[in-house]
Amino acid sequence: MSKQGDSPILSLRNLKKSFGPKTVVNDVSFDVYPGEIITLVGENGAGKSTLKNMLCGLLEPTAGEILIDGTVQKTIIPMEHGISAVHQELSLFPSLSVAANICISSLPGSKAKVDWKKAEQIAGEQLDFLGMDIDPKAKVASLGTGKQQIVEIAKALLHSDRLLILDEPTTSLTSPEREKLFTIMDMLREKGVAIIFISHFMDEVMRMGDKYIVLRDGFQVGTGAIKDIERLALEELMVGRSIGEMDKDIGTPRKEEAMRVENLASYDFTDISFSVKKGEILGLSGLIGAGRTEVVEAITGLRASEGTLFIDGKEINPISTKDVFNSKVAFVTEDRKVSGIFPNRSVRENISAADIKRFIERKIKGLGFRKEDDKTGDVVDEMNISIPHLESKITNLSGGNQQKVIIGRWLSTLPEIVILDEPTKGVDIGAKSDIHDAVAALARQGVAVILASSDLPELLHLSHRILVMRTGHVVGEFERKDFDSVKMISLAASSAHEE
Amino acid sequence: MKNKEVSMDRIKEYLSSKLWLSVVIAIIVLCVVFSILSPAFLQWSNFQAVLVQSSITGIMAVGLCFVIMTGGIDISIGAILLLSATVFAYTVNGTESFMLAFLASLSTATLAGVLNGVLVYYFKMAPMITTLATYNIYNGIALHISKTENVPIDRGYTFLGNGRIANIPVPLMILLAITLIGAYLLSHTRFGTFVRAVGDSQVSATESNLPTRRTIVSAYTLAGFTAGLAGVLLISRTAGLQNSLGVGTEFTCIAAVVLGGTALSGGSGSVVGSVFGAVFLILIDNGLNLLQASPFIYDAVRGIVLLAAVSVDRMSTARQAKTLLEQKALRIGSSIIKQVKKTAQA
Repeated sequence: MSKQGDSPILSLRNLKKSFGPKTVVNDVSFDVYPGEIITLVGENGAGKSTLKNMLCGLLEPTAGEILIDGTVQKTIIPMEHGISAVHQELSLFPSLSVAANICISSLPGSKAKVDWKKAEQIAGEQLDFLGMDIDPKAKVASLGTGKQQIVEIAKALLHSDRLLILDEPTTSLTSPEREKLFTIMDMLREKGVAIIFISHFMDEVMRMGDKYIVLRDGFQVGTGAIKDIERLALEELMVGRSIGEMDKDIGTPRKEEAMRVENLASYDFTDISFSVKKGEILGLSGLIGAGRTEVVEAITGLRASEGTLFIDGKEINPISTKDVFNSKVAFVTEDRKVSGIFPNRSVRENISAADIKRFIERKIKGLGFRKEDDKTGDVVDEMNISIPHLESKITNLSGGNQQKVIIGRWLSTLPEIVILDEPTKGVDIGAKSDIHDAVAALARQGVAVILASSDLPELLHLSHRILVMRTGHVVGEFERKDFDSVKMISLAASSAHEE
Repeated sequence: MKNKEVSMDRIKEYLSSKLWLSVVIAIIVLCVVFSILSPAFLQWSNFQAVLVQSSITGIMAVGLCFVIMTGGIDISIGAILLLSATVFAYTVNGTESFMLAFLASLSTATLAGVLNGVLVYYFKMAPMITTLATYNIYNGIALHISKTENVPIDRGYTFLGNGRIANIPVPLMILLAITLIGAYLLSHTRFGTFVRAVGDSQVSATESNLPTRRTIVSAYTLAGFTAGLAGVLLISRTAGLQNSLGVGTEFTCIAAVVLGGTALSGGSGSVVGSVFGAVFLILIDNGLNLLQASPFIYDAVRGIVLLAAVSVDRMSTARQAKTLLEQKALRIGSSIIKQVKKTAQA
């Protein structure tokens, strides 16, 4: 349906973006013609968002060129160029009416008297154009997520109707809402609007896309017409790297069960049942938003849930943080900055925080911190943390070293079950390898490990068994001998609507 | 049958869109209770007294509700009131010109509001702490000028507080005018729309290219102006400056705004509701007075009412959050929703 006779609206030439030494987008080039849907796919962290932000003028490219209608642009002013984006986080104002939201950037009438009739009329026309029956007078807060998304698209198209960027628009939509969105996308394509469609969901990509761009580690590893590629081939392109290195010695799980979860359910997930043996590393895989973090928070009692939890054969009911942690469970949270470190404290205090009693010897009850230095020093050596001094503020350390401090903190409590959520997010390769070694060593010692991660190669490398999650459900379970990355990605990246 | 349901839904929707509805109901209930307990309550003169007293709190609440709708707060308004009254007293006594005193006190108050807005916006300081600091500054300046002495003003200059036009008290007319202007500003001007937009999300407002800075500074300016106006009215009523003037009004005003249905988190709100909230709070004072309750208990009662108002605000926010969670649970087909439904059926 793309009109090949036309010239491209947008062209990227060897676009590159680096943050410090890290290159996030590398040598990306493609053209966008009017009336075509370009699907941009890639794993978490492949560089899709960075690319999007450069197209929206929010980030400046390190190298390369962005051409609009054939002319090189120094800075992108989206509205001027007819580019608009609907981000994953909607930018609507819930307290205002639909009409006010759509027209907010250029309200009709004067400053002292907004012409609401006119605004409602403009909004009505815009919504009619999208074929939606939404009352322009309704408050946005009273609309469902699907309709809010349509309002956002209407708002975006009011000013910029040549190129629309949709970033994961379907993640929070119900099936009928999604169909409605696709009808609108088809209609926009007919009218010559170009769409860059970013999606995790391969069925949507195969169905809606005209062209595909695959990003992996910032590189453009595949480009072509959707009709010329099989879904499987596209998924292989996304995962890419050969995942041969499964030679890590992670030991053999024991017979005894360490933890069992039955029918755990909450607002974000449901029907979660699994068990972990001593010495076993259980990987929890899934895309962002699949519910991994929510599940591990629920089994540590940090998130309200329903279901049964057994630790060492004993039922913990209700699941309370206190009881769980008293059962020798350690939990390293996903967001180091928010829920991991004590930012203004020293490395020493950060290490001893979880179990201060183990670190100190007291002659007088309640007084003194003897031996804390020696013992925290031991942890620093064990975890191979490089710090100038035990009293250094933890925020002066690199991300990798901070993460090692936190893992060291929890390992010093001599846990029998360790739960790690994204333990290597944002850490350098060296620290990553140290953390992997520490996890493998734990398993060999008979500690049960639950490892939640969006980094599939990491899970393949370290796990005995992997559960694949998608929109709050477990949709697949793989033993180490049956690991199949493409199958896993395919399971995780199908939209729930597919079945 | 179906039509009936639809129209019921319509009515419900309409009523829930009127944020001030609950405070009006509360006012009616309070009136019924007090009229049973005290015969003096139902007299016209008493009603008039309540409304005139409400006008000072009400006028300030109108300005404050804009600040709260931006997601901010202004606790310096009580001090701005005192400062404005002080400036009025000294200017009117010094120059014997009502107009000059009126303008001087209003400009001082408006400037104080501008300063609040600038500090909050440019220095990205928490509004609570910023206005706590400016509260002390304005209060200090006012007390420094008056040296805490009582300054009587000539009866001739107290028309705004005690005068009547066509037998209607002037303060009441001013309250009415301010309420109408405030309501118009909120729903018919860009400023009003932007205030709510900024309160919903400052990030989205900036991304949508809205004049975030001007909106926030204007809201605090408006709050300063209305506090200044209230200051002139109050000193006109009392015909003299006392250093206790306006002490604690900021809390009554915050309570009035919240009672009137304005969300403390910003975004949605109501000018009319804020004024009704003020009337409600003055009614409580009035009722307690008629019942000959100890005057020392008023503060405690006000505190309890404020607490109740804030918890109502909190509950509605929590309910919204819960609805979102439930929508998500429904989408993924979580078993907890099935259980909720089952218990609902049982």
